[in-house]
Amino acid sequence: MSEQNDSGARNGSAIEGAGLHKAYGGVLALEDATFRAAPGEVHALVGENGAGKSTMIKALAGVIRPDEGRVLIGGEEVRLRSPEDALRRGVATVFQELTLLPRMTVAENLLMGREPRGTLGLIRRRWLPAAAADLLAEHDVNSVDPGELVENLPLAQQQLVEIVRAAMREPAVLILDEPTSALSKREVEWLFGLVRRLRDDGACVVFTSHRWSEVTDLADRITVLRNGTDVGTHEQLSEEEAVKLMTGREVSTAYAEPDRAHEGEVLLETEDLTTFGLEGVSLSLHAGEILGVGGLEGQGQRELFHALFGLTPIDGELQIRGEHKRLHSPRDAIHAGIAFIPQDRKAEGLLLPMTVRENLTLPILGRLAAAGVIRPAGERKAAEGMIDRLAIDARRPGQPVGTLSGGNQQKVLLGRWLLAESQILLLYDVTRGVDVATKQDIYELIIKLAADGHAILFYSSDTEEIAHLCHRVLVLREGAVAEELDGPEISAEDIIGASFREETHA
Amino acid sequence: MSTTSETTRAPSALRLALNPDRRKILYGFIAAIALFVIGDILKPGFASSSGIQQILEVSSFVGLVAAGQTFVILIGGIDLSVPWVLNGAAILMVAVANGSDSNLAIGIAVGVAFGVVCGVVNGLGISLLGVPAVVMTLGMNGIIQGLSLGVTHGLTCGGCTKPPPTALVNAMTGKTLGIDTSLLIWLVVIVIVTFTLSFTTFGRRVYSVGNSQRVSHLAGVNVKLVTVALYGLSGLFAAIAGIALAGFGGGATIGMGDPYLFQSIAAVVIGGTYILGGRGSYLGTVAGAIVLTTLVSVLLAQNAPDYARDIVYGVVILVILLIYGRQRGET
Amino acid sequence: MLEGAIGTRGRGAPTPRVGPRRSQVVAQNASLVVAGTLLVAMLVLYIVLYMGSLRAFPGTFEAASITDHAVPLSLAAVGQSLVILTRGIDLSVGGMMDLSNSLAALKLQGGFATEALWTVIILLVGAAGGLLNGLLVAYGRIQPILVTLGTLSIFQGLALWVLPSPGGHVAGGYTGLFLNPNAPTALIWVVLLALAWVAFRRTRLGVQIFAVGNDEQAARANSVPVARTKVIVYVLAGMLAAGAGIALATTTTGGDATGGDVFTLSSIAAAVIGGVSLFGGRGSAVGAIFGAFVLTLLVDVLFFANIDPLFQPFYQGLFLVVAVGASTLLGRVLVRRR
Repeated sequence: MSEQNDSGARNGSAIEGAGLHKAYGGVLALEDATFRAAPGEVHALVGENGAGKSTMIKALAGVIRPDEGRVLIGGEEVRLRSPEDALRRGVATVFQELTLLPRMTVAENLLMGREPRGTLGLIRRRWLPAAAADLLAEHDVNSVDPGELVENLPLAQQQLVEIVRAAMREPAVLILDEPTSALSKREVEWLFGLVRRLRDDGACVVFTSHRWSEVTDLADRITVLRNGTDVGTHEQLSEEEAVKLMTGREVSTAYAEPDRAHEGEVLLETEDLTTFGLEGVSLSLHAGEILGVGGLEGQGQRELFHALFGLTPIDGELQIRGEHKRLHSPRDAIHAGIAFIPQDRKAEGLLLPMTVRENLTLPILGRLAAAGVIRPAGERKAAEGMIDRLAIDARRPGQPVGTLSGGNQQKVLLGRWLLAESQILLLYDVTRGVDVATKQDIYELIIKLAADGHAILFYSSDTEEIAHLCHRVLVLREGAVAEELDGPEISAEDIIGASFREETHA
Repeated sequence: MSTTSETTRAPSALRLALNPDRRKILYGFIAAIALFVIGDILKPGFASSSGIQQILEVSSFVGLVAAGQTFVILIGGIDLSVPWVLNGAAILMVAVANGSDSNLAIGIAVGVAFGVVCGVVNGLGISLLGVPAVVMTLGMNGIIQGLSLGVTHGLTCGGCTKPPPTALVNAMTGKTLGIDTSLLIWLVVIVIVTFTLSFTTFGRRVYSVGNSQRVSHLAGVNVKLVTVALYGLSGLFAAIAGIALAGFGGGATIGMGDPYLFQSIAAVVIGGTYILGGRGSYLGTVAGAIVLTTLVSVLLAQNAPDYARDIVYGVVILVILLIYGRQRGET
Repeated sequence: MLEGAIGTRGRGAPTPRVGPRRSQVVAQNASLVVAGTLLVAMLVLYIVLYMGSLRAFPGTFEAASITDHAVPLSLAAVGQSLVILTRGIDLSVGGMMDLSNSLAALKLQGGFATEALWTVIILLVGAAGGLLNGLLVAYGRIQPILVTLGTLSIFQGLALWVLPSPGGHVAGGYTGLFLNPNAPTALIWVVLLALAWVAFRRTRLGVQIFAVGNDEQAARANSVPVARTKVIVYVLAGMLAAGAGIALATTTTGGDATGGDVFTLSSIAAAVIGGVSLFGGRGSAVGAIFGAFVLTLLVDVLFFANIDPLFQPFYQGLFLVVAVGASTLLGRVLVRRR
């Protein structure tokens, strides 16, 4: 049921979903959900994962048709058959999954369907980069090379291109689904500027985000979704109030904080680690410690994690428990007791059609087998033990991992490495795209793992997380350790400050 | 895109046991039986004990080659070199054995080793050099063809036109332990391959790689090793089939392996193995091989002309793919 | 803090017209350049061996012979490229060539009107075959390798039905239209084919084909009618294969229902050597034409090097593997360089 609007004024509606119902095979994604955004405003749509944000956006964007309810654009009821339909009515959408064509250039992508034409109506390919450069400049983007293949661009720049492509149509309504997920602070500022300009020109901008600071900075109004329906539209909302609306209960947004690290033995140590993207990184990781890796996006964090997991060849010294080791592949790293838990669990973590049990036991098959033959009872026992230990919500270990919810999938991933008895855990942005309640679970799990004696290297695109969760933080800049922060009171500002602090060179 | 709702119903135990993959195997065997029935109706005696044995015997050769094909298709690859690995192994065996029983063991060993080496080279090219499977195995087929025909001067050299050792011929055309030898070999292969895929660490890794090379790599699976091993196995089975065929048919001929490319792939597909890898089983391939052979036999029993066989092959495979495609609801 | 990469607010100051950087053009067309280089190298090798063997420079007769033999493969390779560009593969090319070759040998005689009519009919047969492929791939949602494996068999069967044993021939006048044994007039057709590609690439359909091969989902989001594009591509490939079969009939003395079989795999080889990526979305049909000429020249090179013709497949296979392997390795090295 939709509650009373906070804002009394009705400025007319640019885009509206009224009483939307949508079910996917018996599961209600939207139930009598109403959303109204006005022209000349920036409107945020927030809610936990599974609350219906994506479904609402897809309905407004013309990707899906609701089972019941109406969609209105500019006050007029419409029946959208496709995103192109929506586009024709002035609604442009930028989804989280990029729709750029990777092996074509930025220019080809931007100008698809509206290429400059010459004799015989044939496309003038030579003019493409210049025309695209003009478009990019109009939108204040000067860092992207229009002649470059999209697949060669870093993810953040791809997202910029995607956003420009939507904005350049001068839509009446621009919908952005998690637009800042891959962007650095500088690029987020650019996006805010773009959004505000569009709003000032009378367009309506709808966006979703998990980052509360962005929501409060940018949004004129905020609509909260919970369990498939809207539970309030407000002009002002604190994070606590929002979380309460989103989860329907009081959930502390305070980060769990770890105890002081018991200075355990040094489990992993590097000296002068150098590879493509890293310049002489020296660090030591102790048992029981959560070591954070901070810095601006793309300063070598990913390279560091990959190097420590044997994914890239390195120069420099690496020692595990005091022993010199050469890691040529993830197998070597796993044998040395290192585990890597990536952010993208679908593409890098789990085998979705295979069962929970099979996913859990993948790295330790050798241990569960005699002469190459897997011992079924042993495997089952190991899997069930881990499912219990982590409270994974899977009715039976033989079900495909793809049928589990996102949070549970993440647990299976973690469970795999606990089963492998990895002492050193490399956690790379594991809470990205995870909703508030599950995030808390994960924080507590991480702290418990450290207390149990694991050594944890932690990276997150959310600097607040690093600040609160970690005992120590190494701030990277251009592939080298710029600063090391220690002590109980590390703050996000400290980390960000260290990211920018310039030393002057000759 | 979005995550599904936080609580999804777990599939029941029964649905898991009769999952789509297992159902396809069932359908395959049902289809085979149905074909026997139809064949018998059209020509009584078709489905007699000896008739069935005959068909199974012919299927066994397809089944052997298709074992290797199943392995590589399970990791999303394909082996287009089976025609000439088969042919080359047959020629080698005949030439080395030189017609005498005492050299038979060596002949077989050389032929088999040849198949494995060719397969391993395929695997290395694909995993180390990054050559796509279609190109690598296609090229290998040509390489072996050229070598075989060139070195033997078109199969006119002395050693290669000799019949294979009588021990082999007798074995392959006769019975061992009460059933046709080729069928016995196939049964052994079925047991070994099915066991390997379902119960060993290697088998688990095969499915893992077939589902995602990246995830498998990050979980410590040696993807390159698995790839090379599987292509090696494909070469192995093609070689075994070639040697068995040479015994069965009384010698090595040019082009003896050609029909087996289409048939091995068709058997795998009919058996429900997913062409992009990660799903499927050898039992399905077995059903597929039998279905295919039975179908051809039904046609031959009707005195259908040669070209009809080709057309029916094609139509059958397309119809089956359409059926499977609709069931699965995905590409 | 915020200056540098992102410009400060400034609305559309027009940027001076600048074309693509040369280094980018080269990098993105690397495979075409490689294919062209291979062609030149092969040509040089051929000339050298020819002169070594016959002590004379190859003349128009030789040029005509090479071109005539390369035309069928070029046509088939261009059709194959179109399909490969959409991330598919067409194994039925050989079968369709068998069928059209058989039909051509039987029917392309008896005066201009009959010949013209039958040319159209044969091309339509190709289109129909391609349509079957396209519908099954796009709407039946079956993997291209499997669909075309099935239709290959069907077309081969049909060819055997049309021409159970080798025979027939194409009328001399018709043949003369396409090729002249003493001069490489067939080159005109090749050049036309290349130009057609260059124009086609610059049409909306051309762009859509690349989009589909890049990423179907993204293409759909870009308003590309994916299914329809795929169907069109297979229809075009079918027609080109049919045309290739006709060309084959004009260059051989008689029809043969299995004469086209070898072209399935060599059309793939030509496309791949020409730089068309098997993963779709990248490559040029001009490269496939280069590849066709490279493979045709290879046969002659082997001949003049006095290699036993029985060894031909060995060298062809080796060449294919080495060429692709080398270009993949090269690609990896270049990527690491950036």
